[in-house]
Amino acid sequence: MKNILIKIDKIRKTYNSGSTAVNALQDISLNISRGEAAAIMGPSGSGKSTLLSIIGGLNQPTEGKILIDGIDLYSLSREKRADFRREYLGFVFQQFQLIPYLNALENVMLPLTTTRYTSKQKRDMATHALHRVNMDTKANRLPNQLSGGEQERIAIARAVVNEPPLILADEPTGSLDTKTSEEIMGLFRNLNESGLTLLMVTHNPENTAYMNRTITMQDGMLISGRKNTIATNSLPFSINESAGVTR
Amino acid sequence: MNLYSIALNNIARRKKRMLLILFGLMTGIAITVALFMIVESMRLALGDQIDEFGANIVIVPRAEGMDISYGGTNVTRASVDINQLTESDLELISTIPDYNSINLISPKLVAAVSANDRDVILVGVQPEREFIMKPWFSLSDQAGLPAGASPDDLALIKLAENSLIAGADTARKLMLEAGDEVIVNGTLFIIAAVISPLGSVEDGLLYGNLDAVQNLLGRQGEISMIEISAYCNTCPIEDIAAQLSEAIPGGRVTALRQAALLREETINKFSTFSILISTVVLIIAALLVLTTTMASVHERTREIGIFRAIGFRGSNVLTVILLEAGITGLSGGIIGYVVGSIIALNFGSYLTGNNIPVFWQANLIAPAMLLALLITITAAAYPAYRAASLDPAEALRFI
Repeated sequence: MKNILIKIDKIRKTYNSGSTAVNALQDISLNISRGEAAAIMGPSGSGKSTLLSIIGGLNQPTEGKILIDGIDLYSLSREKRADFRREYLGFVFQQFQLIPYLNALENVMLPLTTTRYTSKQKRDMATHALHRVNMDTKANRLPNQLSGGEQERIAIARAVVNEPPLILADEPTGSLDTKTSEEIMGLFRNLNESGLTLLMVTHNPENTAYMNRTITMQDGMLISGRKNTIATNSLPFSINESAGVTR
Repeated sequence: MNLYSIALNNIARRKKRMLLILFGLMTGIAITVALFMIVESMRLALGDQIDEFGANIVIVPRAEGMDISYGGTNVTRASVDINQLTESDLELISTIPDYNSINLISPKLVAAVSANDRDVILVGVQPEREFIMKPWFSLSDQAGLPAGASPDDLALIKLAENSLIAGADTARKLMLEAGDEVIVNGTLFIIAAVISPLGSVEDGLLYGNLDAVQNLLGRQGEISMIEISAYCNTCPIEDIAAQLSEAIPGGRVTALRQAALLREETINKFSTFSILISTVVLIIAALLVLTTTMASVHERTREIGIFRAIGFRGSNVLTVILLEAGITGLSGGIIGYVVGSIIALNFGSYLTGNNIPVFWQANLIAPAMLLALLITITAAAYPAYRAASLDPAEALRFI
């Protein structure tokens, strides 16, 4: 069990809409191992993004517990949870979500803003992250001066700049063309091969080819958690066999 | 990259919004600074006026009669023909406890006389006291002056028993010049000098030696008015007036400071009005900051969600919003101070309706900046708190 990075235990999320209770997630239990690259798939409204936000410490579940690296995420205060996100998680959002008035380098430096690193250290780390996504030549460009694929690369660099063990990506290729999507997925695969754990919400079945596991959701429930044999062969780690779906 | 640079970047990006806040804030601070500078200048001018009054206590007989005014201030109603004070009353002044606070005493006898068959008011004075007490008096003409020489200082003139000094209006009315002769109640006098126009009641007087006037009128030892100069900055002028009132039962004692206090009251009313106007304008500026910052926070909901998601604490978001407000506030304070000073210096005299000089007050810049900072921080506190409390999942529309 030492190899498990994320342990989700009987998570339930209910939203109250007037007098009606909407069950967004129902009794989700799931383990994600270190170094795993898991895709979460399912139709719109199946609870994929809600699950991702809960794993990301952004959305408190109604019931259940989630442990990341052995830390009970929702036993932390809001501020401590923010610190946890900064140290453990890298987010890649839909539509890139770059800050429009900051250039590429500054956007990448953003997660380091409240750390104790010196200005030079922050700049060096951000430059290194840009180099990892082949964007070091466009460090001074504003987001609106970059293509969609380039913005996505900046968003990925921002997610990895503080070297977190876990990357959470929500539809990262949703607004990209096929060719650019393949490039971005290749980038994610490289990051995963370097040791980062990757959890990605996606609508695109082709993206699962780059992942070693696909988790399928429907109506707030997990309906499968199969291993992807195609991708697994090329990955330098094995899927934790104990990770599965319980209902 | 730090919180300060994020705040600065955001200000630079939202120029129109920030200019709107800056304009509102600048207007509020400018009006406040301008009104404050004008009121302070009015107070300074009042202080100078009090000092220039010379006499600040006047003793007249308790009697009814014609009006007598000094320093443009109506002192009392006293008869010019009924005398109830004598020179012995002067000795009583020295008996009051605060006698040491008294600088100068100038007794005078005031009477209506006929001069060259015209009615004028003759005032018998002790010139060395009277004219020291009124340093704003100067001579326009002097008898026996060599050609091209300037008249002497009035306080230094030795007034002979048969000499008089004419006020500007009296000289004009009687067509007198220095050195001319004038018949007063049948007695010949020489006009030793003519006083420059003052624009006050003194222009219509004739001044003579107290003893000579008493002799002329056959009222030896009598006086009709005593003017007293006390040290107004240190002495309790009303207390001295009360002591004199007690010491001289036949006299009616008036502290001229009361007149100054009336002016001070006017200034205080203007000051209250200024505070009211400033408060209203500053409240409007604060509301402008509040609504604009609220709108800004609403507009940046998703951005704040990103900040929170990538590890910004709520307190970090709060700091960014308050830094933006603070930077805008300090800028508004500086610009408001400069604009307010320009308004006060150029239009202050016009606004007060008189020729009070308005002085530039450099020491107001710090309070102006602090006030602007206080307004923006207070007004931005609630939107900043809202931003810090934003649910990141909701902000990123995960819900």
